[in-house]
Amino acid sequence: METAISAGIIGIGLGAQYALLSLGFTLIYGILGVINFSHGGFYMLGGYVAFAVVSKLGLPYPVAVIAATLVCAGLGALFELLVLERHIDDHLATMMLTMGLYLVMGTVLVLAFGTEPVEFHSPVSGSWRSGRIYVPYANLVVLCACLAAIAGVYALLYKSNLGRALRALADDRPVATALGLPPKILFPAAFGVATGLAGFTGALVTPILSLHPHIGDSILTISFMIVILGGLGSVVGAAVAAFVVGLVEAYSSIYLGGSIGALTLFLLVLITLVVRPTGLFGRQVRAA
Amino acid sequence: MHRKVSSMARVFEFVGRGEVATIVVLALAFAVPFATSSPLVFSLSNQILIATIAAFSVYIMLRMDLLSFALPAFMALGGYAIAVAAKAGITNLVALLLISFAVPALVALPLGSLVLRLRGTYFVLVTFAFNEVLQLLLFEMPAITGGSNGIAGVPASTFLGMALSSNQAVLVVTCVIGVLAAIITAGVTAFYRREFAAISENETLATSLGLVTRRYKTIGLVVSAGVAGLAGFALVNMLLTAHPSSFSTLSGFSYIVFAIVGGRASMMGPLLGAAVLTTATLLFSSKGEYSPALYGMLVIAVVMLARNGIAGIRLPSLGRPYVEPGADAQSFKREGKAI
Repeated sequence: METAISAGIIGIGLGAQYALLSLGFTLIYGILGVINFSHGGFYMLGGYVAFAVVSKLGLPYPVAVIAATLVCAGLGALFELLVLERHIDDHLATMMLTMGLYLVMGTVLVLAFGTEPVEFHSPVSGSWRSGRIYVPYANLVVLCACLAAIAGVYALLYKSNLGRALRALADDRPVATALGLPPKILFPAAFGVATGLAGFTGALVTPILSLHPHIGDSILTISFMIVILGGLGSVVGAAVAAFVVGLVEAYSSIYLGGSIGALTLFLLVLITLVVRPTGLFGRQVRAA
Repeated sequence: MHRKVSSMARVFEFVGRGEVATIVVLALAFAVPFATSSPLVFSLSNQILIATIAAFSVYIMLRMDLLSFALPAFMALGGYAIAVAAKAGITNLVALLLISFAVPALVALPLGSLVLRLRGTYFVLVTFAFNEVLQLLLFEMPAITGGSNGIAGVPASTFLGMALSSNQAVLVVTCVIGVLAAIITAGVTAFYRREFAAISENETLATSLGLVTRRYKTIGLVVSAGVAGLAGFALVNMLLTAHPSSFSTLSGFSYIVFAIVGGRASMMGPLLGAAVLTTATLLFSSKGEYSPALYGMLVIAVVMLARNGIAGIRLPSLGRPYVEPGADAQSFKREGKAI
């Protein structure tokens, strides 16, 4: 029983991290129609920027998290503005461009920090215990920060004018543009918000997991799984699916073993797609 | 004489100029194993040919505006199938060619009935997931696949009793597979040109006009899987080993890059993309750790500067390249969705 509860807590923690990651991924798809293959890259970048700020500049960890978020957001917005914007309507080109960016980012990080995992630990230590259940405080901090960020994204999208403008552009770009919304400003902004979220997650999560220059691949795969399961472009779907994936991962790795657990996850995703081709919360994709 | 010329012209028109040129270029590759004995040239030619075959598989799907990430999975099925067959004593080249084509094609048939219902991005993502499933299965079935060790020491294929084991013979086999794959690709895309173009342009309209799009998409997927299987055969035949790491998702990415960066207008695109980028990889590898970044920047530069891929770059002396209607970069349409 204790094991089951512990696994549940781990799963919810994972789910919260995944939710943040896939929110960014699904935002970029929903608003820009771009599959961002560099999403894992921004997660890594966030982790490394936070690591550099803490270890090289000696600043406190919260400052590092904010710095990582801003750097990733800025870089993402800049990339959208200078590179992606010209090919924004061409699915294949944007896929190639973001993948190229991912390769460049990975190399720069390897050159700057080496291929070995770096020692990056959360400043929060100790853990909360009750019987045989124990949860590190660091994980609780991450969970709370993630939940706060998810609430923030929700407020941004559904309660602010920026969010309304972005949703309008996602809904129908020509009409929204004709009504005076400037895509040249809003698209980079949306991309920046999403990559900022990835950087924030990276800065927050890598201290309790691990930080090395190949971590982006698995992050990308997980983001893929979640957005397929939740329905591409659906914010609610991504959040719900992230927790489902987190829980499935936590329970299956305990009761079924690592690789079978991953297989379960993939099969779950495939079955979902066969039964509901648009994912749990997705609506029919507009025909091309 | 006149009649002969006009029938030749008709063949050109039916198959397409770029396609014929591609087959000719690949046939010329047969000269390489006899013209030189440089191991570097052998290795590079093998790699370019395998990359080209794999990129053809991507190309067939792109003709229907479908981007499939399942390519390494199909390559793995073909490669492992011939490794198992060769270990069991079937080393005849013709038999192995058939096996490497048929096994992935047969797997693609039921898979197609599941995944071809999906459109655009969902299809991209689910094929990506299929790939991951197959990778895990390769590790989880050590009895057949050798698990993480793979299948090592695959016997060389034989033809008319000759063992094709020398470097030269291996390259000849790769050339044979290359030409075969090119002919299959040219054949299927020429034969179903209109059907594929209709699916690519507007699937809903094509269906409403009575085209059984599902059937043609399945044919495309099955042939594409078979061609990928041939690439897997060539790869395993070169390495003499079938190993999961040869068929990683990332490798699939490279083949897609070859096809897209090369250009989607004709089969010349995948060939040029594979040749240029594989050579670039080799050149960059001397730069060690900078290599992926240089590669990434090259991809970004080509996408930014040459909208229709390398094959679409217009040189004054070559005139206007032949562009298939609807094969331009714009046709993979955006399908953004409300959130």
